[in-house]
Amino acid sequence: MDHDDDLSGDDLHGRLAALEARVPVDPTPPTLPSRRRRGRFAVPIALAPVFVLAVVATAAAGAVVVSNLAEGNPGIQNPGQPLAGAHMECMSPPEADAFLAEHGFADVDWQVETGTTVAPDGGKGSSTTVHQATPPEHGYVIPGSVHDNGKVIMVADQRVGATGVGDCFGSPMP
Amino acid sequence: MTSADATTAARRDRAAATNGETEAFEAAVRPHYAPLVRRLALVLGDPHDAEDVAQDTYLSAFRSWDRFDGTDVRAWLYTIGLRLAFNHRRGRRRWLAAIGRIEPRPWSDPSDPDLWAALSALDPSTRSALLLNVLDGYTQAEIAAMLSVPEGTVASWVSRGRAALRRELGPDR
Repeated sequence: MDHDDDLSGDDLHGRLAALEARVPVDPTPPTLPSRRRRGRFAVPIALAPVFVLAVVATAAAGAVVVSNLAEGNPGIQNPGQPLAGAHMECMSPPEADAFLAEHGFADVDWQVETGTTVAPDGGKGSSTTVHQATPPEHGYVIPGSVHDNGKVIMVADQRVGATGVGDCFGSPMP
Repeated sequence: MTSADATTAARRDRAAATNGETEAFEAAVRPHYAPLVRRLALVLGDPHDAEDVAQDTYLSAFRSWDRFDGTDVRAWLYTIGLRLAFNHRRGRRRWLAAIGRIEPRPWSDPSDPDLWAALSALDPSTRSALLLNVLDGYTQAEIAAMLSVPEGTVASWVSRGRAALRRELGPDR
């Protein structure tokens, strides 16, 4: 029997299906929450001062965080962003560039990082940053963000010792 | 009818509609829950993680039930689940990296260890695309839409996945 041929047909399907069927699962779905909304003032009135303090503290902490942000733009792949879940980190820079163009993002600034992540003495490495309009051939893609002017900032990490991010953390550099 | 009567009737109608929605959701989604957990277990490599993500998927699907177009419940559910699984893996990887990359003990299948090992060696995206294609019969265009990637990327994943399994499993294994 030619196993090679089998793997592209029924045998692979059959073995995968059997494997999946052997996974031990609890088939009970979770209990669904009520979709009825609570009243607007469901918090007991005795807790009102605590509630007010929490709101004030949260607002103050939020202001500090926002003031510390160098860039206020959320990542292009963050939940709710235009390319959420796109996994561009698993593409080569040219693939990511083509993917962005396909999704209407033609104005891309490629920030190419070269150098090393670790110095010969084991300390922090040094890197050089170059901005360019075309994607480099190689490097780990680190998806960036869409700025107010519509420009997308993408990073291509070519540093020696770089590891990649997300799902492709630790995979060979494209 | 007084204003109070109208308010009561409106509340009753809303409650009935809500109950109806819940029943419709459960009837449509419940049959796909256990298969979803199994699929996520193959993608995540851990049945416990799979159950966590499947529960999140179920609740997320319930919250967006009124936006579902009604065409293919399984594809819709798997789309939500796989995207959550990818994010789950990302979070876990960051966490593992932060604590020194201690991997938890993964599930293994004693009945077909070669297949499980070969499948585990694939990256989650390739594994997901391969399973959707081989097991569920979704076309590359359908998988591309589910995973929000170009069709060419899916074609590459499926081809790479098949080649890897062929190489690892080879003849006589």
